[in-house]
Amino acid sequence: MADGDRSDEVDAEDDDDDSEDERLFSLDPEADGDARITGVVKGKHIVTPGELVTSDATWMRGHGTYSVGNSTYSSVAGTITRVNKLLSVTPLRGRYVPEVGDHVVGRIIDVGTRSWHVDIGAKQAAVLMLGSVNLPGGVQRRKSESDELQMRVFLKEGDLLNAEVQAIFTDGAASLHTRSLSYGKLRNGYFLNIPSSLIIRSKIHTLELPGGVDLVLGVNGYLWLRKHTQQLGEQGVSITRLAEEAGWEIYSDENEYISPSIRETIARYANAIKALEFGEVGVNEPRVVAAYEASLEFKNVGEMVENDAKRRIARQVLAARS
Amino acid sequence: MSRPEIYSPEGLRIDGRRWNEVRHVRCAINTHQASSDGSSIIEQGNTKVICNVVGPGEPTGGGVGGSGGNQRAKDDNRVILTVKAVVAPFSTIDRRKRSGNDNRVQEMCLTIQHIFEEAVMGHLQPRSQIEISLYVLSQDGGMLQACINAVSLALVDAGIPMYDYVCACTAGMYDKEVLLDLNRLEENDMPFLTMATLGATRKVALMQLETRVGIDRLEPMMAAAMSGCHHLRDVMDAEVRKHGKSRLARTGV
Repeated sequence: MADGDRSDEVDAEDDDDDSEDERLFSLDPEADGDARITGVVKGKHIVTPGELVTSDATWMRGHGTYSVGNSTYSSVAGTITRVNKLLSVTPLRGRYVPEVGDHVVGRIIDVGTRSWHVDIGAKQAAVLMLGSVNLPGGVQRRKSESDELQMRVFLKEGDLLNAEVQAIFTDGAASLHTRSLSYGKLRNGYFLNIPSSLIIRSKIHTLELPGGVDLVLGVNGYLWLRKHTQQLGEQGVSITRLAEEAGWEIYSDENEYISPSIRETIARYANAIKALEFGEVGVNEPRVVAAYEASLEFKNVGEMVENDAKRRIARQVLAARS
Repeated sequence: MSRPEIYSPEGLRIDGRRWNEVRHVRCAINTHQASSDGSSIIEQGNTKVICNVVGPGEPTGGGVGGSGGNQRAKDDNRVILTVKAVVAPFSTIDRRKRSGNDNRVQEMCLTIQHIFEEAVMGHLQPRSQIEISLYVLSQDGGMLQACINAVSLALVDAGIPMYDYVCACTAGMYDKEVLLDLNRLEENDMPFLTMATLGATRKVALMQLETRVGIDRLEPMMAAAMSGCHHLRDVMDAEVRKHGKSRLARTGV
C-alpha cells in the first residue's frame, strides 16, 4: 500500500479513508419531529452495505443497520427511514416482510395437523390455523375432531386463498386468518406474481376494475385476477345472516362459466400489470386502470408481451401521473 | 521467438496494462428479475460470471414443500447458504466439459459459502435458506474473484443484510514485480494469490495462495491485491447506487 506510484483508478479509492466525513450522514436530532410521519431524511439518499449512516450514538438502530461502537452502518442497499429517534434502512428490493393486517394472497403448500402451511412469498411459510378459518355452518360453530380429519376437503395443497396476517411469530413467520367473507379460497381467475416492493399499500386491496374483472392485490406481490362475481352481501342476504348463509360453496373448486371476452379482459389486465412490473412502476388501483386503458391501443392482447409494448405502456402510465 | 512478453522492460503487460491496473470491469445487478430474488452479472476483462440468488426462503431439499425440508435449517437459528456453480464447457479456449462434481469447482463453492456465511447477517433470518447459483460463461483468469464479486452484487440486489460488500482481486509476482488482476496467460506463468476483503476495510475475508512464493514477496502482493479489492468495491458500489437511483425514480408514489 505504501508504494508511491499508483494508477489513477486505484488511487481514487484509496482516498476513502480521508473522505469518510463526506459519507457521514448529517442527521439533526433537533429537526422537525412529527411523531407520526415516517420521514425520509434529505430526500431519497441511497445508502449501501457498509456505509456509515451516522456516528451519533443518540439514534436508535432499526432494521437494515448494524453498529460498531457508537457508529451505525447500513447493512442493505436502500433509503434511510426515520421515525422519531429510530433509524432504519428500507431495502430497495427484498422478500416480502409480513406485517399484521396485510391482505395477502397465498398458496397452500402443506396440510398439517390443525394448520395449513401457506406460501406467501416471505422468508418462511405462513401458518393458517384451523381455528382461524370460517367453516361452513357459521362463525359460532365449534371445530370438532371430524373437521381436523377433513381439512383437505376445505383447503388442499396447491389451493390459492386470500387472507389477512393475524400475527407474527418471533422468528418472523406469519399467522394468517380468513375470518371474513372477503377472505377465503380463490377461484374463477388467474394468478400472477410481481415483486412485493412494487405494491403500494392502500386501504382496500380487493379492487373492482372496469370490464367486469376483480383484482385481489396481495401486499405480498401475489395477485389474483378473477371474473367479477356477486359477493354474498350484494345478493340481499342480511348482514347478520352472512356467516350462516356461507355454506360449502366458499370452499368450492368449481369455476363458474367465464365468457371468452372476460377471459380476454383478464389476460389484458395480467399483461398490463406485467408491463408495470417490467417498467418497475409501483402498482395501485389508478395505475392498473391507467395501464389497462393504455393497453387498449393493442387490439391483440398477445402483442403486449413484447418488451417494446411493455415499455410503452409503463411510460404512458408514468406520464399520466404527472 | 514470438512468445509474448509477460512484462516488458517498458513496464507493459501482455494486454497493455501497467502493473497496478485492473482489467476493465463491467457489472450490472437485477439482470434476471423474473427467476431470482437477486441477480448480477460481472465481467472482469474477459472473465464473465452470472449469479442468481434465491431466498431467503423456506428451506428446500428432502421432502416436497416446506414440511420435509432441510432438517439442518429447521434446527438451526441461522440462515443456510447453498452455493452451486456451473462452469460452461465453452468458457475456456479449448472446449472442456467439467462434470458437476469437479473438485476445483466444489472447492470454490465451499470457499464462497464460508466467506458469505461470515458476511451475511445470518442470525436475522432463522430457519431459512439462501440459494446461490453461479454460471461461469467465460474464463480468462480470476474465476474465483469474479464469482465472489458476482455473489456480493447479487446478495445486495436481493436485499439481504450484509456487513459490507465482499470484494476480491488477484495479484501475482513476476520476477520481482507485483502484477495486479492477472489474466489467464499471466496466471499460468507466475505465483499469484486471490484476496477478498470486507468492503473498503483491511479485514481479509479470504486469502488463497496455491503456489510457493518467498515470504518477502508476499507482502507487496497482498498490498496490491487489497488496493485492487478496494477499487472493485467502488466500481460495484457505483453500479448499485446507479441502479438504486433509477429504481427510486420509477417506483416513487
